Amino acid sequence: MTRIGYAALATLSVIALLALVGPLFWTIPPETTNPAQGLAVSSAAHPLGTDELGRDVLSRLLHGSRVTLLVGVAAMLAALSIGVIVGAIAAFRGGWLDALLMRFTDGMLAVPAFFFILVVITVLGPGVGTLVVVIGALSWMPVARVVYGETLRWKNAEFVVAAASLGVPAPRLLARHILPQAIPSLVVSATLGVAFAILTESALSYLGLGVQPPLPSWGNMLQRAQQYVFTAPALAIYPGLAITAVVLAFNFVGDGLRDALDPRSRR
Amino acid sequence: MIVFASALTFFFVNLAPGGPASVMRFDVTAEQREALIKRMGLDRPVTQRYVEWVAGAVRGDLGSSLLTDEPVAQRIGERLPNTLTLAGAALVLSIGIGIPIGLIQALRRESALDHVLSLLSATGLAVPVFWLGIVLILIFAVSLRVLPSAGVTGIAADTIAERLRHLVLPAVVLATTVLPTVVRFMRSAAIEVLHEDYIRTAASKGLAPRVVVTRHVLRNALIPVVSAIGALVPRLLGGAVVTEQVFSWPGLGRLALEAAQGRDYPLIIGLTVVAASIAVVTTLIVDIAYTRIDPRVRLG
Amino acid sequence: MRPALSTFLLRATSLTVVAALAVSACTSATQPGASTAPSAQAGPVAGGTVTIPIGADPTLNPWSPNAFVESLFINRAIFDGLTKPGKDLAPAPDLAESWTTASDGLSWTFKLRSGVKWSDGKPFSADDVAFTFNDVVLKPDLGAQNRASYAAVKSVTVVDANTVRFDLTRKFAALASFLAYNAGILPKHVLSADPLKTTSFNKGVPVSTGPFKVEKYTSGQSVSLVRNENYFGAKPYLEKVVFTVVPDPNTQIAQALSGDLQIMILDNKAAVDRVKSASGLLVVSRPLVQYYWLSLNQTDSRFTDVRVRQAFVHAIDRQAIIKSVELGYGSIANSPITPALKAYYDPSLASKYPYDPAKATELLKAAGWTPGAGGVLQKDGKPFVFTMDVGQRGVLEPVNALIQQDLKKVGVTVELNTMEWNAYIQKDVVRREYTATVNWWTYPSDPDVFPYYHSSAAGKRFNIPGYQDPRLDDLLVQGQSASDLETRKAVYKELQRYTSEVLPYLFLWYPQEIDVLSSALQGVPELGLRDSMHYIGEWWLAKK
Repeated sequence: MTRIGYAALATLSVIALLALVGPLFWTIPPETTNPAQGLAVSSAAHPLGTDELGRDVLSRLLHGSRVTLLVGVAAMLAALSIGVIVGAIAAFRGGWLDALLMRFTDGMLAVPAFFFILVVITVLGPGVGTLVVVIGALSWMPVARVVYGETLRWKNAEFVVAAASLGVPAPRLLARHILPQAIPSLVVSATLGVAFAILTESALSYLGLGVQPPLPSWGNMLQRAQQYVFTAPALAIYPGLAITAVVLAFNFVGDGLRDALDPRSRR
Repeated sequence: MIVFASALTFFFVNLAPGGPASVMRFDVTAEQREALIKRMGLDRPVTQRYVEWVAGAVRGDLGSSLLTDEPVAQRIGERLPNTLTLAGAALVLSIGIGIPIGLIQALRRESALDHVLSLLSATGLAVPVFWLGIVLILIFAVSLRVLPSAGVTGIAADTIAERLRHLVLPAVVLATTVLPTVVRFMRSAAIEVLHEDYIRTAASKGLAPRVVVTRHVLRNALIPVVSAIGALVPRLLGGAVVTEQVFSWPGLGRLALEAAQGRDYPLIIGLTVVAASIAVVTTLIVDIAYTRIDPRVRLG
Repeated sequence: MRPALSTFLLRATSLTVVAALAVSACTSATQPGASTAPSAQAGPVAGGTVTIPIGADPTLNPWSPNAFVESLFINRAIFDGLTKPGKDLAPAPDLAESWTTASDGLSWTFKLRSGVKWSDGKPFSADDVAFTFNDVVLKPDLGAQNRASYAAVKSVTVVDANTVRFDLTRKFAALASFLAYNAGILPKHVLSADPLKTTSFNKGVPVSTGPFKVEKYTSGQSVSLVRNENYFGAKPYLEKVVFTVVPDPNTQIAQALSGDLQIMILDNKAAVDRVKSASGLLVVSRPLVQYYWLSLNQTDSRFTDVRVRQAFVHAIDRQAIIKSVELGYGSIANSPITPALKAYYDPSLASKYPYDPAKATELLKAAGWTPGAGGVLQKDGKPFVFTMDVGQRGVLEPVNALIQQDLKKVGVTVELNTMEWNAYIQKDVVRREYTATVNWWTYPSDPDVFPYYHSSAAGKRFNIPGYQDPRLDDLLVQGQSASDLETRKAVYKELQRYTSEVLPYLFLWYPQEIDVLSSALQGVPELGLRDSMHYIGEWWLAKK
């Protein structure tokens, strides 16, 4: 994997670590308000300053990382699950089911995701659960395509045919023999999927449809910081940087993995 | 496909809690609410309303917006060109800048330049749109006063020059949502092509590198990129929502947001139908373009 | 250089660049340039265009249910009502020159101005007034806005071409003030077919009587007004007024800073310092007839004890809320009458219920709440926990966060349920399924707050907490029936005292409005922008 890929992976690990154990060390609660100390600049007590209600930014960033990463990973897993099922079945079964499922996939790809998310969230009400379902439901298509391609590629490989002739049932064939071949591509899709989910969450939070306060997420921290763009731009910079860094990192890891796993792109 | 989407949306949307914004006001009494709901015909069952809507839609009548009483088709028609202009400009920018950059990155693979460009373009993708928008407004509209901060055209004069001036910032901001993807696709497509035998053949034939690059690499790399671009159009339409909000650009994105928040059911359905139609049309265009560019593929 | 290091340096540089740009963009416009204060002018000059931002496409019909906040600015500039808010907020003549009340208080006669013409040249008459009320406002199935305000009006009778009489079902002292509040008269000759849904009117070029008329309506972009040559009053100084549709509040501020607009309301008060430091702009605070409140649903037995309500008010640091959310532009409220209503407001109540968590705990203890597990108060084994619904609009989210923390300090656990505005109205207002919620009331410039406090208004109307109290009802009706100012003042003084004691709603604060004006803009009265719109004929632009 490229060196940038490794650097990105390292960054992600650090961030994941911070998200997991950070709040255990930095114990200031993220929702404790202290209006007298609103919009304070960095100090020893508040290394990243405070937001408009006097809440500690570092704490909110750390807790927010948990929420943001959770949403990102969960949405990606949802997308992955749906995509794998659709793609594998379509390719394996072939015939009309294949045509139907892939047509459906193409159709979904053509839908402007954001419009749809908007409508759905307005109906179901915002919240972490809805977010995960909605983002997942709209980003499984590329995964399905990848799995479709891989399944097609491998379903007629010798070892698969051999196993089939030995009486291994289809689901096991898929799970044990075919899909593992697709794992490298899936990992790449996964990393890009998380990046997309995180970005979408922040965009939705800007519109007030993402994670609801007072639960902090990087996206909704940005949304609140919007009002203070003129007086305290740092409030928008921290979550913005965090989102950028994580999304970048996931993208680089994905690219790096893809470069590493695709034999044709070797020099 | 469109029918399916419209039916799905119709039933789904009518399930949404709340009602049209004119009804959902703090200062409206229960009797007023009932009167308004009756006037809007929302007290009839959903299935009945759907049937009526389909009957109208087939004739081209998409109903009237609940919030403004204007025909839905008219409201959408007013805003559609604006969004198309914005998306189109963003697309042109992304292609115009993205393809050369992707190509350069492929040619200079693994070099410092490659890394820097990757970083920059990925940053563009990751930076939150509204933030970028407001920063650019602050720089160009407030500090430097060279570009306007809102609207499609000047109030005083409506000239092509004014329209272009107003288009610059929003198009640039919207382009950042897809440019990096174009770059990445071009880069990987070009890299693949560069390894093909026929490139080495061309190079060994003594053709100037420039010619090799433009005629062969570019041509062949463009094939997968074109289909990728088709997939980007829906994303552009979606990204337009936030961009239009920040730049007060009167387009479909903003209309969708208002319609969703105001529970303007007919307008929401109408927008979904239009969005789905646009998607279908773009897929068709891309498919056709694909066949024209790639000599190996023929329709059918 | 090793790639990892170069990447890091690159990131650090881009971070610095971006931050620097943001900061420099903020400060660079603060150059103390040549002051744009106009040189000593003799008086108003004619000419010029004023640009005002609004948040969305307006509906140009004051009675349409789709006329939301953004519409009322324009509607007040183009439509006249029988009265308008005076510069002291008492009702002043507009289309009506004078009015009298019958001795039994059940009818009001308005003498209309003669010679008034609509912007299309047709003559205005009492028929238009009768049409507006009888055929539009008072027709229940049309669903006109503000209909509830005229519940006491039976009908409007045309006495002669220039006189109308309002016949009432009960005494209604505030009628003249209500007629000044978004009650423009509609033209019968244009709208008799479809008063509220004629889109060429509502979304195009309406026919009106005001100093300005609509020239052009470009959906999603702007509505431009020009002088109405048929206006009955003095010719306005300004040549043109343009309302631009700018939904994003930050973009509005950017436009003010770049000189693209001349007056706006600064919704985002946090930016006030930035705007103050810009040259060529004036920042002023204006009074509003508005107050924020916390409603504790009286169907929940925990909240029916007045000591609990009073305890909450002591527990909430209202001054801190004003400071952090309104940037200090507001004052503590202890009754529904706002300081803007100078004739009625009783300032002696302002210092009631100081921030005192100890007193709050004491009161809660007296009401039977004692500390339980984890410091959370409990009574009969049940902890004091409840949910507050938060509508996503304006300052409600941060306010609720602060209140949650304040109540936590006295052992009351509040969970916040943030909801999209539309869904929130459905739940809390339409279905009244809520335990506690924070919101606000804005009302006409009259202390008649009957619709929000009377027991008849509980449940389906505007008495959100559902508080029912015969003494309060009595005071409310007295205030409505009294005909002379002195009696009303006395009644409402007692009402203020009483409501601050029993707290039907928990009063939070009276906000002020911050307006941003170009220093060239003169003649704007010291009223909130909504009320100033009635005087738009007096605005003028100084030449630089």
